[in-house]
Amino acid sequence: MRVVIIGASFAGVAAAFEVRHIHPDAEIMLLEKQDTLGYIPSGLHLYWDKKISDLDEARFVTEGQLDKHGIVYHLNATVQKVNTTQKIITYDQHDLSDQLSYDKLIIAAGSRQLSEKITGSAQESVLKYKRYDEAQAVLIKVEESEHITIIGGGQVGVEAADLLTTMEKQVTLVESMDYVLFKYLDEDMIKPIEKNMTEKGVDLRMRQTVSSVEMESDQKVTVCLGEGSVTSDAVIMGVNVRPHLPFLDKTIKQHTDQTIAVDRYLRTSVEDVFAVGDCIQLSGPGEDRVYVPLINNAVRTGIVAAANLIEPSRTFKGSLRTIGTRVFGKYIASTGMTEAESLFTDRTVESHRQEVRLTSLADSDTVTLKYVYDAKTHELLGAQMISDANILEKINVLALAIQSKQTLEDLQQTDYFFNPAYSQMTATTNLIAWMDERADEDEN
Amino acid sequence: MKIEHFLEKNEVREITIFNQLVLNGGTLSYGKMLNHLGVSKASLENDLSSIAVRIEGFDQKVQLQYDGQTIGLSMSDDLSLQQIYRLYLDQSIKLQIITFLFKHQEFSITQLTQKLAISESSLFRKIKELNSHLKEFGIKIRNGQMQGEELQIRYFYFQFNCYIEDKATFLAEHPDDRLTQMIDAMEKFLDVTITPENRERLKIWLIISNARVSIIDKQAKRLRTQMKAYRKDPFFHKIQVFVLRYFSRYSIEVDEVESMIHFAFLLAFPVLTEPDFHEYRLLRDRHAPIASMDTLIAETIINHFKYRRLPYMLERDMSYHLTHIHTRLYFFQGDIEIYEYEGIIAKEKQIVGTNVVSFARTLLKTSTKTLADKTGESNSLLKMELLKYISLLVLITFKMASVIQVGIDLKMDGLYKETLGELLILKLKPIKGVRVEHYDPTKIYDLVLTNEEPKDQANYDDARIYILSEILSSFDMVNIQRIIQELN
Ligand SMILES: Cc1cc2nc3c(=O)[nH]c(=O)nc-3n(C[C@H](O)[C@H](O)[C@H](O)COP(=O)(O)OP(=O)(O)OC[C@H]3O[C@@H](n4cnc5c(N)ncnc54)[C@H](O)[C@@H]3O)c2cc1C
Repeated sequence: MRVVIIGASFAGVAAAFEVRHIHPDAEIMLLEKQDTLGYIPSGLHLYWDKKISDLDEARFVTEGQLDKHGIVYHLNATVQKVNTTQKIITYDQHDLSDQLSYDKLIIAAGSRQLSEKITGSAQESVLKYKRYDEAQAVLIKVEESEHITIIGGGQVGVEAADLLTTMEKQVTLVESMDYVLFKYLDEDMIKPIEKNMTEKGVDLRMRQTVSSVEMESDQKVTVCLGEGSVTSDAVIMGVNVRPHLPFLDKTIKQHTDQTIAVDRYLRTSVEDVFAVGDCIQLSGPGEDRVYVPLINNAVRTGIVAAANLIEPSRTFKGSLRTIGTRVFGKYIASTGMTEAESLFTDRTVESHRQEVRLTSLADSDTVTLKYVYDAKTHELLGAQMISDANILEKINVLALAIQSKQTLEDLQQTDYFFNPAYSQMTATTNLIAWMDERADEDEN
Repeated sequence: MKIEHFLEKNEVREITIFNQLVLNGGTLSYGKMLNHLGVSKASLENDLSSIAVRIEGFDQKVQLQYDGQTIGLSMSDDLSLQQIYRLYLDQSIKLQIITFLFKHQEFSITQLTQKLAISESSLFRKIKELNSHLKEFGIKIRNGQMQGEELQIRYFYFQFNCYIEDKATFLAEHPDDRLTQMIDAMEKFLDVTITPENRERLKIWLIISNARVSIIDKQAKRLRTQMKAYRKDPFFHKIQVFVLRYFSRYSIEVDEVESMIHFAFLLAFPVLTEPDFHEYRLLRDRHAPIASMDTLIAETIINHFKYRRLPYMLERDMSYHLTHIHTRLYFFQGDIEIYEYEGIIAKEKQIVGTNVVSFARTLLKTSTKTLADKTGESNSLLKMELLKYISLLVLITFKMASVIQVGIDLKMDGLYKETLGELLILKLKPIKGVRVEHYDPTKIYDLVLTNEEPKDQANYDDARIYILSEILSSFDMVNIQRIIQELN
């Protein structure tokens, strides 16, 4: 059996390893457009944060690991066409066109950072750095720049704004919503971040949509907004990623948002063709299908597709859009449904925000937690956290609770260790009204 | 644009034959029909036999008799002219071109000629004809695409699917789950109630919008300019937040234009109920073009009829309808004439008098001068908005005529006061356009009937006062009727 995988990033590589694990005899081939393997998309942030000293250290897999598992990979190989009737793939490698037949095909071609609505955003001077070669170029450009405009206040944009201000750059951040990180946090949770952003001198332009980017004669770049414009030395694209799949043949059904339509087994509309990672929609926090481009989803979908190659055996369990990061001095994390997003569910949802101490010691840090839950059943649906201390791991507890459909009362019954230096009377992740450090409000 | 523009000449004639028969109680002589159609007898015979073939599908539910002298039409009770129109429209090639274009957003000539089984030259001819009618919408079919401002394209498709294409088929072709979710979410987020009828309208709009949301290079220059006055509008802002949040769930990029398009639609078409609209009206910038035109036209209407003021709810209702009219004039171009304009104008003139019609024309002139800068009766949008002004004026005059408030304030002993009061009310009630009740000092009246000269006129505010000479006398009744007529 020959399994061909298009794209050798998180989804593709995870699928390859799992196929090898399940089918020791399969012939596995990865086709990858880029000339290096396994670059981590936020590698540049690690570098700016001085967590690594060379961009090349930001790799999640090496060629050696693939070799060891007998996985064949072609770098610099761009798939041009998929013919699902004849089961043949056409790809270009080093200016030569070649063909390859497959028994099973996994499409893991991911996404790219590109805007089709912002005129001029495709030009090189508008910086993107999901890929290694892009990141290298951005590194140099940013070093030369003093004033940088970031388009988009999502995770990438806000992290970049933080790191660049720390590097003493002047930063303007443009976001079309009312507040940053709106997919992950509710507006009442974001205040401390926005306060710190302003204090650190970030020029925040909320409720502004970029319509075009124009090059000026003096190497400067102007970003045109609905009202006014910003001219700076460089522009970073922090907009959402999207699939780019010009090679698909018409028989593979796509949704209107260009993602490939798959069932719960990650099978496409064509037999023996699977799709994973950033090129599909998943069942999201509200249980309907949404687009959640995250590495964890890419890896998990890769594994599930591999398990279903011969016959459908494992369904994909969906995504809670769990994230965790540190920006502007705060650790923030989120999983599941936000209160704002509960708009899209028919459930009646309630929420509660509380601030609790992390340990039993006098100088304990606190964390602000927000719970979103079903008003009737008390099933936990979402959680958000913000703290000065590193509480990121705790979000996984709540993610697991949501995935296993626990209620607030169930959560109070879970078994946790007590050690005064590391915990307090009740677990941090329990909603217990009398534990509020600041019993101020009950939302709704 | 008219519905008949989707039909061929002979088909229009056939429809006219049906129309004439319906208007004339089901039968008409050859002579009269020939006169109306302006064709030869042979060609009328042709049309009649063509009709006969077409209606075979109705299985005797429609029957046409003709004998060279008279033509007669009979239809079963559950069938109307609408279904006969549908029969013709369903076979229209032009309709199929538009439907195909909507579905595929782009086509090649060979694709279409094959699909419609027509020759290349007749396809070109049909497209050319369509374009001549699309012109008033500011859009055209070119290079296998619909081209023009995005708002106009969606607006055209909307009108097309509401009035030309079979609405039910269109809705059935587009499954519902996500739309229902979207509308429910919208309802929650905007904190409004969307009634079933408005929901259907919104659904059609959203099907069209969602099918076009991913199209690159949308034109919106005109819309962007028009929206300059509405950047800070609270309703626009809410729509913007909703649009961004909704589409952030998919891999769909939206720009500001998407929200602008929805803003224009939601204010131009009845989607919000009057109470929900009223909430917005309290918040909106009164100096923005549409709102200030609403005020100007409302004042002109009130002055014209010499009303002091309108009852609160009627004033709100008027403003609700005026905003629809003015939003359409401000944002949109072109329309589909769903009513036979000339016919309706003629009928309205008969019923409401030439005054109302010519006053409506004055209103239209005032509003278009500032809002639309479009002139000429040939523009269907202006025709349709004129009809709306007329309807609004008729509505106001009817409502105003029916609300002459009469209060009876008799100054006498309790028992008499009550009995005589009741008797008076009984006598006055049959008079058209009055509401009579015992006087309540907290209310405002147009006419107060009393039996003593009031000590302080101011007590009755601005109401007319009539002092009864002899309660229940015919002398008084005649006078009261005269006063009521004067007040009307
Ligand atoms: C700057 C940035 C930082 C991010 N940081 C994080 C983070 O910290 N945490 C997180 O969870 N998510 C993060 N993401 C999102 C994350 O990058 C994606 O969710 C993840 O990369 C998806 O993995 P994938 O394997 O599905 O697709 P991709 O990583 O997009 O990989 C697709 C691969 O397919 C290849 N390919 C595409 N087309 C072809 C073709 N025709 N022929 C051959 N090969 C092709 C591409 O070159 C690419 O290597 C970040 C995104 C960006 C832009």
